[in-house]
Amino acid sequence: MGREKEKEKPSEKALNLLRSRLSDPNFIFRPLSDSPDSNYSKLKFIISTSVTEACNNSILLLGPRGSGKVAVLELVLSDLLQQYPEAISVIRLNGLLHSDDNCALKEIARQLCMEHQLLFSKVASFDDNSQFMIAMLRECGLAHKTIIFVLDEFDFFAQGKQRLLYSLLDAMQSVNSQAVVIGVSCRLDVDQLLEKRVRSRFSHRKLLFLSPSKEDTERFMEHILSLPMDSSLPHNYAAEFNGRLKKILSDERFKELIDTYLSFNFTIGHLVRFLFQAVSYMDLNAGFLSLGNFKTALSSNQRQLKLESIRDCSVLELYMMVCMKRLEVKEQTSYNFYSVMTEYKSIHDSFQTSDYYAANVCLRAFEHLLQCQLISFIDNKGHNQSVEFRPVKLLISSAELHQGLKSYQQCPAILLKLMDR
Amino acid sequence: MPTETPRKQFQSPKKPKQSPNNVKSQSSTPSIHLSPQTPQLPLRRSSRRSLQLFTSKTVDEMLDLSTPRKALEALDGIGKCSGNNRKGSSVRTPRTLKCKFNEEDREIPEMGKVGEGNGEVEDVFCPVSPEALESKKRKKGLSEEGSVKMGKSPKCKLNEDLGKLGEGNGDVVSPEKRKKGLRNEESVKTRKSLRCKLSEEEMEIPDLGKLGDATFFPVSPQALESKKRKKGGEKRAVTRAMATRSLKKVNKEEKKGRKRVYYKKVVYDGGEFEVGDDVYVKRREDASSDDEVPEMEECRVCFKVGRGVMIECDDCLGGFHLKCLTPPLKEVPDGDWVCGFCQARKLGKDVEFPKPPEGKKRVRTLREKLLASDLWAARIESLWKEVDGSYWLRGRWYIIPEETASGRQPHNLKRELYRTNDFADIEMESIIRHCNVMSPKEYAKANDQGDDVFLCEYEYDIQWHSFKRLAEIDNDEDGECANGDEDWNSCKEDDSDTDEDMEYEEENERNAHARPSTTHQLAANSRKGRFFGIQKVGTKMIPEHVRCHKQTELERAKATLLLATLPKSLPCRNKEMEEITTFVKGAICDDQCLGRCLYIHGVPGTGKTMSVLAVMRNIKSEVDAGSIRPYCFVEVNGLKLAAPENIYTVIYEALTGHRVSWKKALQLLNERFSDGKKIAKGDDRPCILLIDELDLLVTRNQSVLYNILDWPTKPHSKLIVIGIANTMDLPEKLLPRISSRMGIQRLCFGPYNYQQLQEIISSRLKGIDAFEKQAVEFASRKVAAISGDARRALEICRRAAEIADYNMKNQISSVNSSTVKDVVTMADVDAAIQEMFQAPHVQVMKSCSKLSKIFLTAMVYELYKTGMGETTFEKLAMTFSCLCTSNGEAFPGWDTLLKVGDDVAFALKDSKDLPWLAKYL
Repeated sequence: MGREKEKEKPSEKALNLLRSRLSDPNFIFRPLSDSPDSNYSKLKFIISTSVTEACNNSILLLGPRGSGKVAVLELVLSDLLQQYPEAISVIRLNGLLHSDDNCALKEIARQLCMEHQLLFSKVASFDDNSQFMIAMLRECGLAHKTIIFVLDEFDFFAQGKQRLLYSLLDAMQSVNSQAVVIGVSCRLDVDQLLEKRVRSRFSHRKLLFLSPSKEDTERFMEHILSLPMDSSLPHNYAAEFNGRLKKILSDERFKELIDTYLSFNFTIGHLVRFLFQAVSYMDLNAGFLSLGNFKTALSSNQRQLKLESIRDCSVLELYMMVCMKRLEVKEQTSYNFYSVMTEYKSIHDSFQTSDYYAANVCLRAFEHLLQCQLISFIDNKGHNQSVEFRPVKLLISSAELHQGLKSYQQCPAILLKLMDR
Repeated sequence: MPTETPRKQFQSPKKPKQSPNNVKSQSSTPSIHLSPQTPQLPLRRSSRRSLQLFTSKTVDEMLDLSTPRKALEALDGIGKCSGNNRKGSSVRTPRTLKCKFNEEDREIPEMGKVGEGNGEVEDVFCPVSPEALESKKRKKGLSEEGSVKMGKSPKCKLNEDLGKLGEGNGDVVSPEKRKKGLRNEESVKTRKSLRCKLSEEEMEIPDLGKLGDATFFPVSPQALESKKRKKGGEKRAVTRAMATRSLKKVNKEEKKGRKRVYYKKVVYDGGEFEVGDDVYVKRREDASSDDEVPEMEECRVCFKVGRGVMIECDDCLGGFHLKCLTPPLKEVPDGDWVCGFCQARKLGKDVEFPKPPEGKKRVRTLREKLLASDLWAARIESLWKEVDGSYWLRGRWYIIPEETASGRQPHNLKRELYRTNDFADIEMESIIRHCNVMSPKEYAKANDQGDDVFLCEYEYDIQWHSFKRLAEIDNDEDGECANGDEDWNSCKEDDSDTDEDMEYEEENERNAHARPSTTHQLAANSRKGRFFGIQKVGTKMIPEHVRCHKQTELERAKATLLLATLPKSLPCRNKEMEEITTFVKGAICDDQCLGRCLYIHGVPGTGKTMSVLAVMRNIKSEVDAGSIRPYCFVEVNGLKLAAPENIYTVIYEALTGHRVSWKKALQLLNERFSDGKKIAKGDDRPCILLIDELDLLVTRNQSVLYNILDWPTKPHSKLIVIGIANTMDLPEKLLPRISSRMGIQRLCFGPYNYQQLQEIISSRLKGIDAFEKQAVEFASRKVAAISGDARRALEICRRAAEIADYNMKNQISSVNSSTVKDVVTMADVDAAIQEMFQAPHVQVMKSCSKLSKIFLTAMVYELYKTGMGETTFEKLAMTFSCLCTSNGEAFPGWDTLLKVGDDVAFALKDSKDLPWLAKYL
């Protein structure tokens, strides 16, 4: 027993270590940042020259979700905050929260006040806040302090009259300030959304965050998954763990598996999530990662949820869905429980199927379908109406339904026939 | 950084004052000025300056009275005599004056050495100039008065100064900072100070002669107040006596103004003190009294002054004769030079400077004393005369780095001072003389300004112990309060009001009733608090990278290409600027001053606002020169207003300083402009209103624009409106009643063509060799073809410089190849243009996943097939599965496909990765 416990311990530790690594953006993005071509060093160069050479810049970070825009930015900011502890203050805004100019300015004023231990007043007007911001930009410029504005979801700021961006960028080009505006967005054409006056003042540095190449991905997986040799983990265990990992990584089957995964999701964020899943499947008793873990993770990623939920349905429910499909084919776009029942009845009348149930039973099947989210109400109106009168729609395409019926074992042949018709 | 440059300049070998001939020629000139008969005395300052270069020979000549001319010159000797007399008289005068005379004892030791000689001089000269003697007696008689005044000085630490040599001595003492002058002959220290004394006297006496008629206009506040002071009270007394005799005006003035009278400029003790000047201030009464004020620094090796070129050590600021060095230097080297002692000390050796010869103490210059904090320096903020006739100034202290909380930082320059936010009232008595505290820019240029040159780049907050750079345009406040140039007094009060936040100490002293109780309730971001507490923003330490970094060409290029840097010249908009100038001048110089309106339009980045502001600056300088009547200028930006109606509030606040609601403001403005009701004094001045981004003021019923544009048509409005917007046909889009008021006079700013852009860029890059010529042309052609936006062109060039800089730094760090050239090439510009103008879609699609690519193709295929603009996911999925099955790819399933679709939604085009995709496009 005691031996087993000792054996378990390192594997648990290893699991914890791997998991904490996978959820720490610092660890994930650090190894990708050392080369001069990386976005990390480019971004760091731009921001640190703005700090040291007292210039204003505006940068856009573009790339699909999960490509590490904010993570890299945070990495750069934390490094720079260490390098110039006094000279930087960071103001963070999010387009989802502060797309309104007034509220954004208020938030800027609040964070500036926090940063410099000033008293903040909630009732200050738009004018007051914008003048305060400009005054602060000037004062900070004189004190060799750089203000970095991080505008997440930048596309939301590029709506309406864009007063915030205009006054920010205009202040940056007229007073002797030191400020960097960093816009983060997943819309690639976000600079086209800017108003022409704002666009003219924007300095159009763009950094594109792309998915890593295949070699990078492999290097990256090895970096994340291999255990450190000099930690508290037993040396033998770590060595064996790493040896097995290397074997897995060089396995052709594994490469295929990763390729299939990456063929539809190709960003670092997704890859990390996948690895997290695989690591969580690790068998604690064995204590090592195996190819099976990755396979399970992949198959759990490729689950076809709608087909599975069809598999769980009763035959009556299948009938009801087929009826709805038939109604749609007949170009009857809006239907409720009673119109579906009429169709059901007509099928029963013409084909004399064995599965005929009373209306109240059908209603329960209908409600179950609603709960499974295979069908849903068309609109939110008519809450006070009872369920059977509200119009519904099918949330599954005919091709999927067909496939589901085929894979359903006790599916009556008549249903497939009805679908084909 | 700029502070690097001065040193180099000091060391550049050509120095005008090096040659002995030069000294000769200059020394001969002043003798002309010596005679009191010379009716028109040239500028005091200049004469004094030239006199610094006197040879001691002249002094000898003066003492020897062989020629009548020299007899005249010898008048000057009297001043010096009086100095000696004082020394004698201090014994005789009552005890009350003791402290005073102690003071004076201290300041004349150098005189003492020539005392006997002087006595002789006096004897000889008494008959020659009875008037002078008389004046001298008067001095003695009245000396009491002056010294009593001294006692009143509230801060006793400030109350006395040792030199009282007049500011002249210090200012020009050593001809150059670096080379401590070249003397043909050996001059003994005492001689020298005597000489400088003489030179001072020599200016003052003629002054006395024509004091009444020429320089003494205390009535007008701007006129310079001439006030003589010599050796404390005595000289002052003379002047006063003279003044009362010759000018009754003064009395009147004093009676009339029983309160403080403020001046802009005061002539005191032979020095002109102006608001904004920097002066040495005596620190405390008991300052080491044996110090004399040498005009020249001695060589640290031979302890003699003169004899050849001296070089200043960049570390200890000590002066060395080139000859005295081991090994001796032939000429001043370029670059930094550190003396052997400092070098040795740096290496860890224990070195002692050579000891001065027996009986001779090393004298310290005022500069050395200041840097050793035995003296203080202050900037004059205001000058006034108290009711009792004593002269005071409000000074803003400078401190040396050692006195700050963070101590001397490694990157502090030796001659660096900080301006504090600490103020004090100082009596004029305690001022020693002028010193030059300069901004880095001036400092870089200053190479022959003497020893009293200091650098001040930062303001130090004594409360928060933080540093802040001084704003470059320091006269902002002055500019604002220059509105009320009629009465300087009230204006001054305004000024001190704005400064009030900073005068913590003052407040503590008077335990103010006004503010402190409420201070902690004031929020920083509300106007009522006037952004309270914002001053405390500052760095605790001046970051090292600011100072210890030498700019490369590329970095200089980047700095000058910044949008925020104001270019020295504004090329390519001369015609438009002329037109604006004639418009504005025509409007305000017209006697009637009828209102007018100008509409300026043009695409963004064509210099509209910049041109108007430049014109307004030019006109303002003309107003300052007095050739144009004063006007008021209001600038509003439509995009910075929360709502169009707020413009009334902003305009009214800019005109009067009061903040009211927009309805009230509209009413008041209507009264002023339409009904011609003038409330305040300044209201009859013409008003120029610049509205930037005019199109933002268009409301639904367009009443705001109508109101604003209607005012100029009223007979007494004196309102000139300049509107700026992008659209050419804005007036036509508006209601006819508005376009008829606005659309008459228009000015179009066309987009820049490539030559103009090239000129703009190269005018900024003048003197910086960082760009290939074709690179600039390429950038300007590209921008001219796309938008003609100057901002874009500048940004592209800056970005290109950044890219070049980045590449260079990376290459240096990776391989230390010396072949890296720091020039911006076409490739860099091209990269910058690509980054700015090219949409990143292609790149993204190249790197996106396989399924996304198929998905995109399916989408394009579907769209071509149906010819419709949109499609549904269901149809798309069908196409997708068709594509997959017919080309042997595995169909991933609907749910995954939906996820892919999510990712792909932002991309539009395709790549060549999967060969079979091409045929479906």
